[in-house]
Amino acid sequence: MIQLFHVTKYYEGCLALSDLTLRVDKGECILITGPSGAGKTTLLKLIFGAEFPDDGQILVQNRNIARLRSTDIPYLRRTMGFVLQDFKLLPHKTVYENVELPLIIRGLSSFDARRKVAESLQSVGMDHKRAVQTSVLSAGEQQRVCIARAIVNSPVILLADEPTGNLDPQLTYEISELFKAIHARGTTVMLATHNRQVVEQINGRMIKLDCGRLLTDQGTLA
Amino acid sequence: MKRLIYLLREAIRGLRANRTNTLIGIITTAFTIASFGMFLLLYHNVRTITGSLQNHIQVIIYLEDAISTQEQANLKHALTQETHIETLTFVSKKQALEEFHEQFPEESYLLDGIGDNPLPASFVATVVPHDHVSDLVSAMVTRVKELSGVEHVRYSRDWVERLTLFTSYLEMGALSIGLILALASMTIISNTVRLAFYARRDEIEILRLIGATGAFIAIPYLIEGAILGAMGGGLSLLFLRGGFEIVKDKIHDLGWVGGLQATIDFFPIHMSGMLVLAGLILGCAGSALSIYGWIKVRT
Repeated sequence: MIQLFHVTKYYEGCLALSDLTLRVDKGECILITGPSGAGKTTLLKLIFGAEFPDDGQILVQNRNIARLRSTDIPYLRRTMGFVLQDFKLLPHKTVYENVELPLIIRGLSSFDARRKVAESLQSVGMDHKRAVQTSVLSAGEQQRVCIARAIVNSPVILLADEPTGNLDPQLTYEISELFKAIHARGTTVMLATHNRQVVEQINGRMIKLDCGRLLTDQGTLA
Repeated sequence: MKRLIYLLREAIRGLRANRTNTLIGIITTAFTIASFGMFLLLYHNVRTITGSLQNHIQVIIYLEDAISTQEQANLKHALTQETHIETLTFVSKKQALEEFHEQFPEESYLLDGIGDNPLPASFVATVVPHDHVSDLVSAMVTRVKELSGVEHVRYSRDWVERLTLFTSYLEMGALSIGLILALASMTIISNTVRLAFYARRDEIEILRLIGATGAFIAIPYLIEGAILGAMGGGLSLLFLRGGFEIVKDKIHDLGWVGGLQATIDFFPIHMSGMLVLAGLILGCAGSALSIYGWIKVRT
C-alpha cells in the first residue's frame, strides 16, 4: 500500500527525515510517535504528495509520488483522507456542506452525495448537527466533522496529524474510538501523535521517530 | 450540475464577501471602459457621418459647349455603362443658369453683362455606396475625362479623402487607447481578484487538501472576474449613455452644424453588447493573470 525507500527530506538545509525505509500494508494501523520536530508531519506530507523527497522513493498504491505530475496529485488525494489538528473546516459553511465538498469535487450526483454524507455524519455522531455552521461547533465536534469529511469518499488510506492535539481526555477517547472503528472497516490508518492516551487506546503498529530518524518500528501490539 | 452550481455560488459569495473591493473594482473598471467607450463612440459617429457623406458623393461631368447631340448621346451611353454610377441626371445649360439664379440670387448680376449663358451643360452622377468609394471614384473620373465631349470633371475628392484619413487616424487612436485602457482594466480586476484570493487562501489550502484540481479552485475566481468585468462594462454603458445625452442636448442648444444632432447616435445594441463582453473578457483575463502561478497543487 505504502512503501518508502531511503527517503531523505530537508527543509531549507535542515534535516527533517533521514534515510527512512518503511512498508505499510493494506489495512494496517500505524501510530507515528515522537517529540515535536521528529518528522511525523513531514512523513505524512510526503505520503500525501504535499512535499517531495530530496532523496529516495515513495510508492503510494503503486504510484511513485516523485514522478507524479502536479495535475495527478489531486486524484491521488481523492483516494486518501486527511485529518488535521486544526480541523481545516470552512467556517462559513454548514457541517453538511463541509462534508459534501469532497464529493462535489469528485462530481458525484446529488442523490449519491446525500446518502454518503448522511452515512459519514452518522458514523461520527454528527448527523443531528448537519445544518449548523462549523464556526459555532466545539473543538470535539469540529474534529468529528473533519473525520467525517476525510472518510466520506471511502478512502483506502486515512492520514491523521495530531488529531487530538486540541482535545481534552474525554474527547481524545471518543476521537480515538472513531479511528479504531474506521480501521476496523478495513481502512489503512496512519496517525501521527505524541499523545500517550491515543497510543495506548489504539491497538496499532507503533513507529517512533526522532530527529528525522526511525528509532523503533514495532509490530502490532498484542 | 452540482459542481457547476457550487462554482457559481462560490463566485457570487466571493463578490459579496468583499463588497467594498468588488464595488471599487466595478466602478474603476466602468470608468476605464467608459474612457475607451468615449473614443469608440466618437469613432462610431465620425465613421457614420463619413460613410453617409461618402454615400452621397456627386460627380459632375461638364460638357464642351460645342458637343453635338450624337456625342452627347454617346457620352450618356458610356456613363450608364459605368458600374459605380447609381443615378445620372442631365443638366442643360438653361437649367444650370436657372439653378445658379436660384442658389445665388445675390450674385445673379455677375452673369448679366456676359451675354450668352456661360454655364456649361453637365451630367450629375451619384455613386453607388462602397467602402473604398474614394479610390473607385478617382479611377472612374480618370476614365470619364478621356471620353469625347467632356470638358471637365469635378467631385469633392479632397474632403472625402481627408475625412477618410481622419477616420483611419481616429481608428488607430481608439485602438491604441483601447489597448492601454484594457491593460489598465485588467490590472484593476487582477488586483481585486488577488485580494479576494489572499483573503481566501485558507480555503484554497483546504480545497487542495481534499483533492480539488487547480481548475476547480480557479474557476470561481475566473467567474468572479468575469462578473466584475461585465458589470463594469454594463455600468460604463450607463455612463456613456448619460454623457451622450448631455452632449446631444448641448449640440441642440448651441444649434451646431445643421443636421448633426440627427446624424449622431449611440452604440447599436450589438456594439453595446460587445462592450459588456469586452468587460467580461478583460475580467476573466485579469483574474487569470492574478491566479496564474498560484494554483499549484504541490505548494
